Amino acid sequence: MLVAWSYLCSAADHHSVTLHGGPSHDGRYLSFVDGATGELAIRETATGLSRNITTKPAGSKEFAYFSSISRDSRKVAYAWFNDEGFYDLRVVDIDGSNRRVLYRNEQAGFVQPCAWAPDGKQILTLFFRKDNISQIALVPVDGGPPKILRSLHWVYPKRMDMSPDGRFIVYDSFAATDAGERTIFLLAVDGAKETKLVDKPGNHLFPLWTPDGRSVVFISNQDVMSVRIEDGRVLGEPKLLLRDPGRILPMGITSDGNYYYGVRSGEVDVFVTDFVNPAARAKRLTLRFPGRNSSPAWAPDGKSLAYLSRRGTENFGQESRTIIIRTFAPDEERELPIKLAHIERVRWAPDARSILVSGSDNKGRGGLYSVDLQTGSLRPLVVEAGASFRGFEGVWSADGKSLFHIHGDSGLRLGDKVLFQAQGLRNLVAAPDDRSLAFCEGDDIVIVPMDGRVTRRVPMANVNELEWGSSLIAGTGSDLWEIPKDGPPRKLAAPANRQTGMSLHPDGARIAITAGRISSEVKVLKLSLK
Amino acid sequence: MWICVLLLAQIVPIPAGLDIFLPAPDANPLTIEKIKLGRQLFFDKRLSRDRSMSCASCHDPKFGFGDSRKLAVGVGGKLGSRRAPRIVNRVYGSSFFWDGRASTLEDQVLKPISDPNEMDLGLAEAVSRVGLEESTLRNALASYVRTILSGDAPYDRYLQGDRTALTEQQRFGLKLFSGKAGCASCHVGPNLTDERFHNTGIGGPADDGRFSVTRKPEDQSAFKTPSLREVALTPPFMHDGSLATLEDVIEFYDKGGKPNPNLDSDIRQLHLSAGEKQALVALLKALSGKIREGP
Repeated sequence: MLVAWSYLCSAADHHSVTLHGGPSHDGRYLSFVDGATGELAIRETATGLSRNITTKPAGSKEFAYFSSISRDSRKVAYAWFNDEGFYDLRVVDIDGSNRRVLYRNEQAGFVQPCAWAPDGKQILTLFFRKDNISQIALVPVDGGPPKILRSLHWVYPKRMDMSPDGRFIVYDSFAATDAGERTIFLLAVDGAKETKLVDKPGNHLFPLWTPDGRSVVFISNQDVMSVRIEDGRVLGEPKLLLRDPGRILPMGITSDGNYYYGVRSGEVDVFVTDFVNPAARAKRLTLRFPGRNSSPAWAPDGKSLAYLSRRGTENFGQESRTIIIRTFAPDEERELPIKLAHIERVRWAPDARSILVSGSDNKGRGGLYSVDLQTGSLRPLVVEAGASFRGFEGVWSADGKSLFHIHGDSGLRLGDKVLFQAQGLRNLVAAPDDRSLAFCEGDDIVIVPMDGRVTRRVPMANVNELEWGSSLIAGTGSDLWEIPKDGPPRKLAAPANRQTGMSLHPDGARIAITAGRISSEVKVLKLSLK
Repeated sequence: MWICVLLLAQIVPIPAGLDIFLPAPDANPLTIEKIKLGRQLFFDKRLSRDRSMSCASCHDPKFGFGDSRKLAVGVGGKLGSRRAPRIVNRVYGSSFFWDGRASTLEDQVLKPISDPNEMDLGLAEAVSRVGLEESTLRNALASYVRTILSGDAPYDRYLQGDRTALTEQQRFGLKLFSGKAGCASCHVGPNLTDERFHNTGIGGPADDGRFSVTRKPEDQSAFKTPSLREVALTPPFMHDGSLATLEDVIEFYDKGGKPNPNLDSDIRQLHLSAGEKQALVALLKALSGKIREGP
């Protein structure tokens, strides 16, 4: 079935190409989001020329996200983060004219247009509600309420698609209750029937119909596979199309069988290095898992370090991560077996017996959890449905008696007590002397004593992280800045490819940093449809 | 057959807020004939030993196809140990009875007929009385139950974008439901149940609950999360009917359930204010909508 693959474009060809769109049915266009502006854009595949087809007001924080081009290549459906802070489903003509809101409902949550019905009258759309329900919906193009075909608890299908005859939908979801692995389901559009397309062990996801409607192409573990379908039933065994193309995000299949997919390449890793000259003597930390690590955190005694290590090959949404504990005497690392859907960051408890984890569980609840280092047992500390999958940012006081956290949009808290009320707080850290906290609010670094009263504001834009060791350190882009007790910030040496995620060693002389580069490319695999 | 099923699925009107997908096993697809027959059988008192009660005696349409009594009452006034649950939207279910001892409606619908504490009629006698094969009786009852649907509640209309469908207090209740109160950890999705089993401490250790099915210690006294659809119609509450009002239910969860070694890890003290408790009760009352049944 595979004939050849070709390279289409990359982030280097066009500034900040994102992979959240797809090709038109005739292959003339590729929709994507211009990562620099947040506008929806179209690339003409024959010429390589791109143009934005949305225009947002100056200074607006609105942006486009997922998109899907109609089968006649005349319209594009897209998700738009609107001025009220939630996502609309919108439609625009391919030339940028006739922009309109098709569905605007804050309660629908996140919206992802996935495919157009063959007659162009409905758009297959995924809603992801605040209560962690995803819904497979058909949204009428001419107005009217959406039809909810199927609701799924605590799972977000990575992809879904409609058959060319409009009778069936394929999507991926967990294979069984409490299963971590996904498989492919086929759902009749009238809701009369649902069947499991792939009933084998493994992680099966990102299903797309071939244009003849006779096969579904999907990712199976690391490989691209296809399975024959006839009248909603599986014919034979899945077949291998392409072995291990890397971290892949399927985008669509054109009428002549070109399978478009994005590939993420490059490495990010954790390095331990000298604080004063970090680029000079950096040493890769991991013993066994190179190229996929981030978010280091030194233990209070400086004898071990926790970090996050990516698992799986998915190139979309929440990465699958695990916690690694690296010790230096002896030189070992071990993986903590914990059951969380997403781990955003880790911090040590002051007694070094447990790890404080920001993330979300398998019921879609986000928050802060404590993981026992010996047993791996998980204890929710502050957990709520409706919280971000990234969880809450939290820090223990040095005496281990108080847990401070940034609670969604309602400010800095100690337990239920609100210490500092404001929206959009981020990058919470505690001073080692247990007297102060620091966090970012807008373009300021705010320093407060433990009771939340502001003692100092340091203007600094685009801070992506803070760390507090012998001094307060801020990261902006790849740069690092020391924030002295008095006076202006002082720029520190930092590798040009530094990424978010650092931890100062208790000795003040060493630092663990995250560094590397990840880039995205769009490639095309030619499928034989015979 | 495939064409026939397609048409029939469109005949059952789906209330707003519910999925169009109506799961039914390949061996028992929905047909109008089976639904009609199932409806007759559901109200047929010949299916109890003394011909005094039908399925509808405990699953009364007036009470959201549930029961107004604290505990189920069988033939001869036999008192059960658990409540008769509301059976709206069971088409979306994946476990049945409070302890989940049935995994399909086909597996479930005949058990109350032969249960000595319920209708107390042997299946051989039951099929003889109604003149049907056992499989016909089973499939027809299951098909009818699949058409008992509740939706189009103020809650549904609000989620579909009608910002006026819920009062301000109910909207606050909805925020608590998914947030601070953590109700949505178990009462999830359009049918407001995860179909799983949880020990809240209600009823104490006397009733084994899910343990009687799985024999797993962690399932001791765990019971299935009921749907909250039409919940306000059927006080008292919980599987043993031990809480008289919705206010009592909220109070119970606010205190973190009843401590016991198997208490579900999701049950914890909530520290709700009086206003928050009232908002949650107001939301629960917005879960009553339109009930439909039959073809």
